[in-house]
Amino acid sequence: MLVVTKPSLQTTLQGAPRLGYRHYGIPYSGAADALSQALANRLVGNAATETVLEITYGGFEAEVTEACTIAVAGACGLITISGETASAHTSLHLRSGDRIEIAPLRHGMRTYLAIRSGFAATEAFGSSSTYLPAGFGGLDGRALQAGDRLAPEGDANFRQTLETPPTHRPVFSSAIALRACASAETDTLNRADRETLFMETFLADRQATRMGIGLTGHTVTPNSDGKMKSAPVFPGTVQCPPSGAPVILLCDAQTTGGYPRIASIARCDRHLLGQIRPGDRVQLLERSPEAALQDLAEKQRLLAAWLDA
Amino acid sequence: MPARLTPIRVADDVFEVAVGSPAEAQALASALRQTPGAEDVVAGLDRVAVKFDPAEIEIVRAALQNARPTDKHPQSKASPVEIEIRYGGEHGPDLKQVCAALGLSIDAFIAAHTGAVHTVEMIGFTPGFSYISGLPEGFSIPRLASPRPRVPAGSVGISAAFTGIYALDGPGGWPLIGRTDAELFRADRDAPFLLTPGQRVQFRAL
Repeated sequence: MLVVTKPSLQTTLQGAPRLGYRHYGIPYSGAADALSQALANRLVGNAATETVLEITYGGFEAEVTEACTIAVAGACGLITISGETASAHTSLHLRSGDRIEIAPLRHGMRTYLAIRSGFAATEAFGSSSTYLPAGFGGLDGRALQAGDRLAPEGDANFRQTLETPPTHRPVFSSAIALRACASAETDTLNRADRETLFMETFLADRQATRMGIGLTGHTVTPNSDGKMKSAPVFPGTVQCPPSGAPVILLCDAQTTGGYPRIASIARCDRHLLGQIRPGDRVQLLERSPEAALQDLAEKQRLLAAWLDA
Repeated sequence: MPARLTPIRVADDVFEVAVGSPAEAQALASALRQTPGAEDVVAGLDRVAVKFDPAEIEIVRAALQNARPTDKHPQSKASPVEIEIRYGGEHGPDLKQVCAALGLSIDAFIAAHTGAVHTVEMIGFTPGFSYISGLPEGFSIPRLASPRPRVPAGSVGISAAFTGIYALDGPGGWPLIGRTDAELFRADRDAPFLLTPGQRVQFRAL
């Protein structure tokens, strides 16, 4: 059992994405950085999408009331266990009475804390993931508060001590390059705007949520009358309203939208979206769909050497 | 025989096909939902997107090319669901501009909106948000140039020729004409969604 003593700006329980309900308007949810979730789960012997804590900007503290094995991955500041410095990317065996503290982050946005057997959570529409706007999944559909008690799904003690290989530890910085493909309405941009979209460096604006990240610093203007018929969108879709400020959609993305879809972040790089914080520099690198899938296969091959080992 | 569908790649892992109507999109999406390798099938108002497992791209492409659009509108014979709306004022901050754009008085707009029987064409955007057709010919309003960061649940907007009802608090880009107390989505209800595609709707002014 983990008792939350300081909940960070926003900590939620996130498991697998909620696939197959978008035609009811129900988004995927799940971890904003699914790779870091998988890496944390790997260190405690869980399946990749077992329910973990997603902690925003660090500044999280909890007390342990029963021995358990946890692991921390994703963006990380200083981690301490009862005052002693501890490492991310390794299995941490905690005793009853231990206090875990995760300091505020300097880079990246989200930290993932996994426990052996996963955190118990309420399922809704086939997934334990929290979707805050409608208040379902996770713990009563809400963000964690001080005093919340989190139980493991089963036996929380893992006999092994694993470490993520150094080659598989993502490094987060304030400059993010994302591979991206043209999308259905990319041709509503003139040539100059299309070049801006795929050549210039944008800034992530203050509205960086689990639903989307606004981009500023440059504007691109789709040639649209604002009456486009609402069309499917997914995490990774880049929409552009007439204001000219593109928005990259994340894991809690709406399921349909009527602003032109001017790009789509490649599947291989969508996990990076969860670590973009306001003020970060963001660049889209255009790839053909075929090249993007080759990049995905290559990344999956590298990751499988550890995640599926 | 209807023409073959032409899948367009809108992401490295998403195909999309254009269809003629919201009802056609709903029917095609239902037919495609069991395709092996399709991770998700989502209808828009005039298209269907299939997000796929990249390992199964050829199976999904072939399924799309071989699909035949049908137009079985699941039009309900049941009497229309009544939805009561408080038009204008703080509930519908854009009603005046919408009426000005259409060259109508507010009373004439409300009479037109409540006078027609509307049809639910699609659920999407966020849980329970309903796209409802049935505005009179010639009503066509663009979205806001920038979406509002927060629109209250129950807000009723119009965009192009559709009425949309926001089921949850959240961002929204549709000009708002009013608000309803009807709960379009409640996760803890046995039937979480008030409306389904094909259902008929009658608006009443409060």
